[in-house]
Amino acid sequence: MGKVVGIDLGTTNSLVAYVRDGEPRVIRDSSGDALVPSVVSLGDDDTIFVGREAQRRLLTSPTRTVYSVKRFMGRGIDDVKDDAALLPFGISGEAGGVVRIGVGDREFTPPEISAFVLRELKQRAEEHFREQGEFDFEVDRAVITVPAYFNDAQRTATRDAGRLAGLEVLRIISEPTAASLAYGLDKKNRGTIAVYDLGGGTFDISILKVEDGVFQALATSGDTHLGGDDIDRVLIELVLRDSDSDGVGRVLLSRPAETIQAIRKSVIQAKWDLSDHEQAEIRVEPQAGLPNGYRRAITRAEFEALIRPLVDRTLGPVRQALSDAGLEPNEVDEVVLVGGATRTPLVRRLVADLFGKTPHSDLNPDEVVALGAAVQADILVSGRREMLLLDVTPLSLGIETIGAVVSKIIMRNSTIPASGREMYTTSVDNQTSVDIHVVQGERELVADCRSLARFKLRGIPPMPAGLPRVEVRFQIDANGILSVGARELRTSVEQAIEVKPSYGLTDQEVERMLIESFEHAQADFDARLLIEARNEAETVINATEKSLRRPDFAEVTGGELTKDELAQIERALGDLKQVMAGTEREVIHEKTHALNHATRHLAEVMMNRSVREALTGRNVKDI
Amino acid sequence: MTPDSIPVSPVSTLECRSCGAGAPVDEHFCPQCSRILALGRHGDYFAFFGLPRKLLIAQDDLERRFRELSRKFHPDYYYNASPAERLASLERSSYLNDAYRALRTPATRIEHLLAIEGLPSTKSEGESGAAKVPPALLEEVFELNEELDEIREQRESGADPAALASRLDAARAPIDRKREEHERQIDALSAQWDGVAETGSPAERRATLDALRETLLERNYINNLLAAIDREGSGLSALGSGLQSDNPKPKG
Repeated sequence: MGKVVGIDLGTTNSLVAYVRDGEPRVIRDSSGDALVPSVVSLGDDDTIFVGREAQRRLLTSPTRTVYSVKRFMGRGIDDVKDDAALLPFGISGEAGGVVRIGVGDREFTPPEISAFVLRELKQRAEEHFREQGEFDFEVDRAVITVPAYFNDAQRTATRDAGRLAGLEVLRIISEPTAASLAYGLDKKNRGTIAVYDLGGGTFDISILKVEDGVFQALATSGDTHLGGDDIDRVLIELVLRDSDSDGVGRVLLSRPAETIQAIRKSVIQAKWDLSDHEQAEIRVEPQAGLPNGYRRAITRAEFEALIRPLVDRTLGPVRQALSDAGLEPNEVDEVVLVGGATRTPLVRRLVADLFGKTPHSDLNPDEVVALGAAVQADILVSGRREMLLLDVTPLSLGIETIGAVVSKIIMRNSTIPASGREMYTTSVDNQTSVDIHVVQGERELVADCRSLARFKLRGIPPMPAGLPRVEVRFQIDANGILSVGARELRTSVEQAIEVKPSYGLTDQEVERMLIESFEHAQADFDARLLIEARNEAETVINATEKSLRRPDFAEVTGGELTKDELAQIERALGDLKQVMAGTEREVIHEKTHALNHATRHLAEVMMNRSVREALTGRNVKDI
Repeated sequence: MTPDSIPVSPVSTLECRSCGAGAPVDEHFCPQCSRILALGRHGDYFAFFGLPRKLLIAQDDLERRFRELSRKFHPDYYYNASPAERLASLERSSYLNDAYRALRTPATRIEHLLAIEGLPSTKSEGESGAAKVPPALLEEVFELNEELDEIREQRESGADPAALASRLDAARAPIDRKREEHERQIDALSAQWDGVAETGSPAERRATLDALRETLLERNYINNLLAAIDREGSGLSALGSGLQSDNPKPKG
């Protein structure tokens, strides 16, 4: 068995952590950096870049670089049109199907992009364990966190991403509850905790009750489309408005993606500066899309006025969660802040005002979720029992009934695992199948809820209409993911269920992607080997040419090389130069080898000459 | 979503899937091999919690039992167990959560008691839409409907929303009083049930259950009235503040 880690798969940044000696710790790179930017970039030769390197490429290859992919997990093209307008990479997909992201001539689903990030984290952890001298350093299992307000499709997409990255996903847990685990570690106390989690792309609020080491979520609410990204967008729009009075929409069309990325980078810097200073500058260097560059001072007050509407949008879910938990704001004992966007002073102030107490932020808000995920992973595999997390399902689960109305089967904020049953019968004699449509959401009409899946109940024994009694059982597991089972009660015949997820991948699709990712992994690996072969060839060519072209060549070689030998060298050199631009790695190798071989005598001669020179010029002692 | 099937069998004793021994239906763990038992067709939430079939429950005792059973059943603690035990853990913790939800609040607790005592659900009547006005409420309902009609009319003719809001509050007051009265009645009947639950004659038990059901139906009706007043209120712009926030529209 390999190692187990906890992973925070974030909109902007991702982290990996593990538990050693009962203590969770995040894994950092050699420069002490724990954050892996959730950015994936495709090189011109199809090399995949992930993390910091991919982030740099946002500026140089914006159309081949994908970020904020978490916003597209488990979603359809119809959900993400607004986002797609500001993104430099291509978004497509059939109506009612999974979003597809076009990069170069390749196309990826969001779980595939996320899998690249997960694979990077897996590698980072494995490297860390290897450096620690661990014999068994392979990481094969993980707990991955998701926003509490993620629906079934978004959770399933996250689990698929884990599978694609070669990880067994032990558990999907929600980010705020993970954070509460990390906070609860050294505090054996009891009480009510509110976790306010404003991340790069999502907002969550969870209310938990802690007693006897049981962390019981009472209620959760949120907005899967609200976070630091939106703050950036408000600032980008400010810059665009400033520098062109034409209005945002038209400007975007007329400006290259490079410029948008440069603006994005500069406003993010200004946003960070404003967390510690009363004033900052947004500064974009002159470039093709912005010939005169851009400079603007911005005060914290101006900034807060701009983002106030966004921050206010978090208050609705907070009130909802409190009311679902049956609590008044002042009945909450502790408030915990999670997510990079909670560094914004305005957010801290509003949260403090709302609950009437200073929120906790002693753990790094970027790292606390990954730490909690590591603790949960440890609970699962180590058998430690002092803590137990009881989470809730964020949205009600229902089925479509007559008139496109939703009949709720499992209510929101039910502790998971949870189950529900519904009885079905037939409306026509000898009917052997029934269509079932499962939705998630709080609204009354099917059209206002999220379609999760449609399936056909088959194999109902032929009977007069209305006689069969088919019990369909809906089971939400501890991951918040649904499974369905059915049985005809009169005959005890088990029904076959074929589930077609509305915004997810089927098992077959995931299998196919797994195979493709192996193939691509081979392609990516091949690309890397090709680059290495070319580099080696170039080194040999350069060295050979340098020798041949030196002005004192004749003198140095002193006629020790025959004409034949020299001709052979020139021929081998020409051959290698010719194949170098090609993609046949083996051929490049072969010709490199041939040139090496042809220049062996030359190298010896040169070497002897240098040795002689050295000896004649110096005392023996100096050698 | 993945297809899955969870078999249920209507039996009163269980067979342990781990060792094959038989176990009483109220046991959670096999008396023979002490492994977690698959869930049979159970049905009695009180017995599942090890509680007598009584309505006045100490909230913190129920919570404590819930936490203890959670620690025994939760799938987190069966990660390395056999598939049969993992399935049993999933079933049992789901059932525990359902049971806890039902017993946690007095109204759902009574609902569950009525169900296991073989009385028809009060929910089906309330939802059919054809719920008849309980005779005890006829007078209040009549007056309220008249008042609501007038408020609607005035709103349409552009009356001051603040004035209408206070009128609505006044209309609400007698209904609120009725509800408080019913809460007390339900408490009294619950205590009465706890007295006859174990020692009462079948007739006494049945009479108490019927009275409970009747009171619960009235209470459901009152709650629907109050919800209707709230809906009317949120139509007035002067209201709609405070904790009564907009329904969150799940985007996901």
